This record gives sequence, C-alpha cells and structure tokens, in this order.
Amino acid sequence: MACLHDHSCEDHDCSSDWSLYKHIDIPKLSALNEAVPGSVKAVFKAWEQRLNSSEGFLESNEGDPELIVFIPFTSDVKIKSISIVGGADGTSPNKMRAFINREGIDFSDAQSMQAVQEWDLAENLQGVLEYQTRYSRFQGVGNLTLHFPDSYGGDTSRIQYIGLKGEATQLKRDVIATIVYELMPNPSDHKTKSESGGGMSHVE
Amino acid sequence: MVLEATMICIDNSEWMRNGDYSPTRFQAQADAVNLICGAKTQSNPENTVGVLTMAGKGVRVLVTPTSDLGKILACMHGSEIGGEMNLAAGIQVAQLALKHRQNKKQQQRIIVFAGGPVKYDKKVLEMIGKKLKKNSVALDVVNFGEEDESKTEKLEALVAAVNNNDSSHIVHVPAGSSALSDVLLSTPIFTGDGEGGSGFAAAAAAGGVSGFDFGVDPNLDPELALALRVSMEEERARQEAAAKKAADDSSKKEGESTSQDATMSENVGTSASESENKKDDMMDDENALLQQALAMSMVDPDTTVTTRDTDMSEAAADDQDLARALQFSMQEDAKDQSDMGKLLADQSFVSSILTSLPGVDPNDPSVKDLLASMQNQPEKKEDDKAPKEDDK
Repeated sequence: MACLHDHSCEDHDCSSDWSLYKHIDIPKLSALNEAVPGSVKAVFKAWEQRLNSSEGFLESNEGDPELIVFIPFTSDVKIKSISIVGGADGTSPNKMRAFINREGIDFSDAQSMQAVQEWDLAENLQGVLEYQTRYSRFQGVGNLTLHFPDSYGGDTSRIQYIGLKGEATQLKRDVIATIVYELMPNPSDHKTKSESGGGMSHVE
Repeated sequence: MVLEATMICIDNSEWMRNGDYSPTRFQAQADAVNLICGAKTQSNPENTVGVLTMAGKGVRVLVTPTSDLGKILACMHGSEIGGEMNLAAGIQVAQLALKHRQNKKQQQRIIVFAGGPVKYDKKVLEMIGKKLKKNSVALDVVNFGEEDESKTEKLEALVAAVNNNDSSHIVHVPAGSSALSDVLLSTPIFTGDGEGGSGFAAAAAAGGVSGFDFGVDPNLDPELALALRVSMEEERARQEAAAKKAADDSSKKEGESTSQDATMSENVGTSASESENKKDDMMDDENALLQQALAMSMVDPDTTVTTRDTDMSEAAADDQDLARALQFSMQEDAKDQSDMGKLLADQSFVSSILTSLPGVDPNDPSVKDLLASMQNQPEKKEDDKAPKEDDK
C-alpha cells in the first residue's frame, strides 16, 4: 500500500498536493489521550514543515500509546492518501485505523467498531511514505477520525506530522443535527464590533 | 462559561443517616447538589446536569443530563437510603451516561460525593482514573462523612490519576457547624478553575442574578450594599487567615496539595480548636465592624453640613452684608442644639448695630435681606430697633 516518494521534486510542487490541511476546521480539532491538551494542532502544517518540530508534537500520555485524532473539515473533502511522520525510538505508531463522518468516537467505540480502512504503518521519520486510501470510500468526508492503537514498542506514541492529500469540494454535508438554541443570552457570545445603532438589542 | 455536561454521583448508603452534618448527611448532600446544579446552569445555560445514586440495590441513574432544574430537585426527594456505596460502578455508569449526552460539544465532568467507606483497592481506582483521563473526563470528589486514612489516600490517588491540567479537584469536608454547601461554595468545584470565583459564588448564594455586585442596587439601597460588601471582605480576610495558618502547618505534612486541600485536611486533624479560633476571630471582627459602622455614622452629619456650606458661599459671593448674614445664620444652625436664647440675644445685638451704623438705610434691599434672614426674631425686637433708629 505504501509508495515511495522517489522522484525529484523539481517537476511538481509537492506542497500543493498536500494542501488539505488548509481545509481543516482548526478550532474543532481534538485528540484523545494527548499528554498536552491542544498539542494536536501543531501536527497539521505545510509539507515543507513536516520535519520541523519547533511548535511541538502530539504525544500520548505516559505508558499508554493509544491515540485518537478527530479532524473536522470546513467543507467536504475527498482524501486520496495520508502521510504520517512519527517519533523516534519506537514511539512511531504502528497501525492506523480511519473512520469518517462520525463524531465523538472514544476508545471503546474505536476498539469495537469496524474501521473504514486500516493500515500498517512503517517508521517514517523522513515523511516520504504515503498511504493510499480506497478512494471510493473517502468521497464526501466531513470529518475524519484516526485511531492509532499501538506504537513500535515505545512507552508513548509521538506524531510529528499528519498530511492529507486530496481534493476539497465546496459542499457541506447535510447533517441531522441536534441543535441547542440559546436559552438565555450569554454576553460573551455577543461581542458587538460597533456600538452604532439601529439594533434593538443592547447587550452590555 | 465552559460548556459542560455533569453527572453527579450521590451516596445514599446507610452511612448517610448520620446527623453529624445538619440535619442529616443525606440532606446536606441534597442541598449541595441543588446548589451545584444551579451554579452550573447559571454559568452557562446550555450546561446539563444529571444525577445517579451509588448505593441502594445498585447504581441507578435518576436523571440523565438535562438543564431542567425542577426534574433534578424532584428526583432528590424520591431517593431512599440504604445499602453500601459502590464507587467504581458509580463512576463507570456516570461515564457511560456522559458518553451518550445529546450535545457532543459539551465537556464531560463527574462529581462524586463520597460519604461512606470505600471498599475498592487503590490500584483499581487508579485504573479507573486513568481511563477517565484518557477519555478526557474531569472528576471532582467531595470527601465527607466517614473519615479514615485509607479512604482519603484512595480518593487522592484517584483524583491524581484523573487530573489533567488542574481540571479535577478533591475537597475534604469535615463535620462541623458550617453546612456542606457553604463549605463547597468557596472551593474550585464551584468557582470552576478560578474564573471570577467569589463574585459568582456570592451571586449564587444571594440567589439573584443582577448587574450589581451583591444583587443590590447601590443607588437604591446604599447602606445594604455597603453592609454586604463589608461582610464579604471580612469573610475573605478570615478565610485567608485560616488558609495561611493551615498552609504553614500542612507544609510540614505533605508537599503537594492545593491550598484548599491544605485548609480542609488540616481541619480534619484539629477541627474543634480551629472552629473555636474562627469563632473568636469572627467576634473580634464583628466588634471592629460595629465600631467602624459607628464611626461612619458620626461622619455623616458633618459631611452634609459642609455641602450646605459650599452652596451658600456661592450664592453670597456678591453681597457682603448678605454673606455676613448667611454666616451668622449658619453658625446658628451649627449651634442649634445649644442655647437658643443666647443666640437670639446675639442676633438682635448684631442687627441693632448694623441698623445704627451711619449710612445704613433700613430700606436698603441688602439690609432688608439681612433682616429677612433673621426671621426667627420676635416682633418686639423690631420695635426696639425702630425707636433706636428714631433716636438716631
């Protein structure tokens, strides 16, 4: 399944291929079992920066290498392939399972559910390996959940970069949502840019 | 204003019949639960709270996470006391209930009231804690009721295993005169990781939400607002003093606990003497307060008089005679309490002097004003003046 990136990068621009990170809804990015809350956001960046770990990396909690990364997109995307750069010394994940369009997957769900696709990962420290998807199953992806059940023997799992290659459509999935309407005005939700009037509500 | 779904695990085991928390442990717990529900719903109206019981025939979910406070209040009435508390099962069922919450955007939190003894091993509890942390569920534990070393140790270990970035807390509440809910008001369980804690707690305690600090408009009722503010500061000072004292003592015992833990655990050891000290402090503070209030009430008349002084001085800037008259009239006001007769005598003397001055025409408007300002003179004094003028 893995194809080696063995051509010179002069004829085409690799970074434009791996540009799905631009369509990720960053504030809603989340991960389970991360040691530092919010560190998952440092993992999605441009192709050129994939080896740059200055902004930190995603690490799981001590003694437990399992990780779940939830990636929501701002519009529906089609994912062609995925690239993962792990950590050194056995902290790279050795397996990846993907679920699409399911929110709120936790570890018990992930372990019992059938994944849309599973891959065995190699230790890819240079970020030259990419794992292709069964493209027909990855059309119209509103959100992607990646589950990394185990590492290469290390105490924790470390991920430095997750790259996604594919196409973004401008469509948004129709979701049957349970919408909770505002029961009581919450001033922090209503920051008005201008005081100028006409508006009937005056929130202080 | 964190969006949160909370499951509260209450202990309805046999140990809750005890009356060391007034009126019974179970009732104190119910009050605390009501307060927590109110606080959570107020801080963010989209928050939901659910309740389950841990003892009795088995763990039972009374209310699934909802924002309807009435339902929660009603279910607390219906629950019965009996059996033994099953902490592990309670937490696991709470986790399951939270997993199936309607709004997946809410953070998950479990609040456990641990009154009875804990029969599980420390290891089992630590495993449960790690699982909660992995699924990013926060846990708050209220340790009250039965007190023994192993229970405290186990619960501390549990919270340490779950704690991620200070989002989980443990509070030890010893039996004493203050109610369980009052003690909880000042803990991070209510203040929610330090976001404007005491102000909110005061509002919750007052039971009212308004734009002003204490639910009282300073314009409408300044004395009440002042009294509330002073009592709040006194309470804060007392708590800081107690925390400082406890922190010094407990730093010898354990290295790492929050200052709240230190206060509470210290109370466990020396509860009787500390409560007495606190009472003494309160009495002293109350006396100091009383004296302060008295001093302030003394100041008030002076301030009103000085304001009147300024008003009058502006008006009388032009006319010297008028100014003098006003001065005399104000002196008269200040000396109001003293001898009236003496005052009148002075005034008649002064007016007679003024009218007898050469060049002072009684019909001059300024003189008339002068006379008008001394309205309280009886008529015979004016008659005295008239013959004097004639003499002139």
